[in-house]
Amino acid sequence: MRDEAVIVGAEIAAGHDGAAELLVTLRYPNGGRAQVAIDAEAGFALMRNCGVSDLSGLEGQPWRRMLEGAETCSMS
Amino acid sequence: MAPAVRLSRQRRFITPEPGETLETLAARVLPDLSANEAAEKLASWNLHIFLLRKPAGLLLGSDVVFIEPPLG
Amino acid sequence: MFDVLITGGRIVDGTGATARHGNVAIRGGRIAAVGDVTGEAARTIDAAGKVVAPGFIDPHTHFDVQLLWDGAARPALEHGLTTIVPGNCSLSLAPLKAADRSRVVGMFQQIEEMPPEAFTEAFEWCWEDFAGYREAVARHLSINVAPLVGHSVIRLWVMGEAAQQRAATSDEIAAMQDLLRACLDAGAVGLSTSFVDIDENGRPVPSRFAQFAELDALCAVLGEWGGRMLQCVPEFYAVDLTIARIDQLAELSLRHGIPTTFSPLFDSTQAPDNAPRAIARVEEQFARGARVWPQMQTRPIDISFSLLRPSLFFARLPRWVRVLRQPLEARLASLTDPETVERMVADLGPDGGERMMGGLVVRGGDAAPQAYVGRTLSEIARERSQLPARALIDISLENGLDVAFLSAAQGHESTERIGPMLAHPLMHIGASDGGAHIASFATYGDTGYLFSEFVRKAGALTLEQAVRKITSETADIWGLKDRGRLQPGKAADVVVFDDRTIGRGEERAVFDLPGEGMRYVRDAVGIDAVLVNGEVAWAGGRYADARSGVFCN
Repeated sequence: MRDEAVIVGAEIAAGHDGAAELLVTLRYPNGGRAQVAIDAEAGFALMRNCGVSDLSGLEGQPWRRMLEGAETCSMS
Repeated sequence: MAPAVRLSRQRRFITPEPGETLETLAARVLPDLSANEAAEKLASWNLHIFLLRKPAGLLLGSDVVFIEPPLG
Repeated sequence: MFDVLITGGRIVDGTGATARHGNVAIRGGRIAAVGDVTGEAARTIDAAGKVVAPGFIDPHTHFDVQLLWDGAARPALEHGLTTIVPGNCSLSLAPLKAADRSRVVGMFQQIEEMPPEAFTEAFEWCWEDFAGYREAVARHLSINVAPLVGHSVIRLWVMGEAAQQRAATSDEIAAMQDLLRACLDAGAVGLSTSFVDIDENGRPVPSRFAQFAELDALCAVLGEWGGRMLQCVPEFYAVDLTIARIDQLAELSLRHGIPTTFSPLFDSTQAPDNAPRAIARVEEQFARGARVWPQMQTRPIDISFSLLRPSLFFARLPRWVRVLRQPLEARLASLTDPETVERMVADLGPDGGERMMGGLVVRGGDAAPQAYVGRTLSEIARERSQLPARALIDISLENGLDVAFLSAAQGHESTERIGPMLAHPLMHIGASDGGAHIASFATYGDTGYLFSEFVRKAGALTLEQAVRKITSETADIWGLKDRGRLQPGKAADVVVFDDRTIGRGEERAVFDLPGEGMRYVRDAVGIDAVLVNGEVAWAGGRYADARSGVFCN
């Protein structure tokens, strides 16, 4: 098992505001799982950062790909 | 006085102190790790603080900050 | 002599008791008698074959602005709603200093999607404090209002610009407590806060900058006032966060003896464990004595998009993503290039997009092609002798790409899963968001949908259970002692409806906002009459000039 969280799935989901969102599932080294919903901008950025053109390509990507390109205020 | 009901174990979290940043919070809750490692762990457990707001990583007083990964 | 006598109906009194035939008599705005009552009346309403029930209560709305020019909160009232709770999600229109109006208008526009004219043409700003707002609204109310006061505006009043920058000092928190006391004194039924909302610039709303200690101090005031409600909106889809918020609310509930509610709680087939886990945590906290009411909406969530902006709806189609993510000029060039379009359509497979896109519905709107509004892409494509994917592209191009397509019921859509959750004794039916997101989807008709989908079709609730959920249970949760039951002495909020047909109309675009702004609405179906405090406010498909609504708490 890898020693950091990885993406294990991504599905299109209906957002509260009626927009399509990406529901990304991550698995952590202890076996725990978490989901985070991201908007279109972040979703397409994630696909670009991972160099994939299909959602299935996100599987196995490290969690930090999700932060790449994000305009952070305190962490790089 | 609340009845003595045992709550199931859920993921532990804290809320930030006034003026706290993710770095200072990481140092507070994960003192045995290097600053960089602690901050990275905290970020990986709290993606909601990075992905659902601008600027990403801006710590808000009302934030729930998980201090452990999702329960396995 | 009664003012109104409703005769011959099946009385579903809101308590959950079995329906029984009888009459309902009203005098002086109150229920005078229920059952075998007879006598002279100034007005008689024949309810033979219909259900007579207490007026429905909607605990989560954003009608704060609309109420200033439309005291019926149309079309909420015609759906049988007689009491609404505005001021949710940390935002209300008072207390609000004149200098801060534009800032709060931006926040409201972000949530409600009201056009700017709604804030400049339809009413005169004549208040700053909560009592002043109440007075401005109360002049022409047809519906009852039980308003929350927003944490964000309280913070803004006390801290000014710093409300969106930092933690409050102890003096500032004390000032917020005093201000909250004044609002409760002026008729607020509780406080709302938000952990997710943003302003028009994408910046977190003021309440999100508050430490837990600040919220705790404000909840102490809610406790002083006999246990008023705290409402919050938690993070979506992340169940660990939802549970953390439930635990925070439980702590505040126990410490201050207050009810709390969070909304919305969605079910999702993509995250099927989320809602059950949240409900399980709520059960644990109730067992401790805390009151943390999850609000669940009845309607499914639709996805809407146009080709003006890239949508994740196409995320499984790489070529479409590449084309639609280009700047507008390049996007248009690609969409008019025969070879590119041929490949895009081919990507959908042999059915040309029938399976993925055939069910899309063309929505109404400013630039909508009227001949296609409300029809499926499958039907339109056949008419045009095109494949659905090709029709989607061409219809968009013919209308400057400004054509909205709707993919219905893409979230919170499983009746089999949601029915039992709605029937759960700790589930609060609400979260309609009435008056919000008005240019994105219709937030009206959720009560009709409760009956059509979960009572008639699925049988998840009986008629009596469903009525109780949205009347007496809601009144009890919110401490609205005068409402929610057809019992002598209670306020005469009554709805007469046909339980064989009650439902919600199709979503349609209307241009009835100030400045001819557009919004999506749904008409009532199966509702015969709605009485507010004994006055007929809606009947025979028309609004009456009743103006009998009140502020209630």
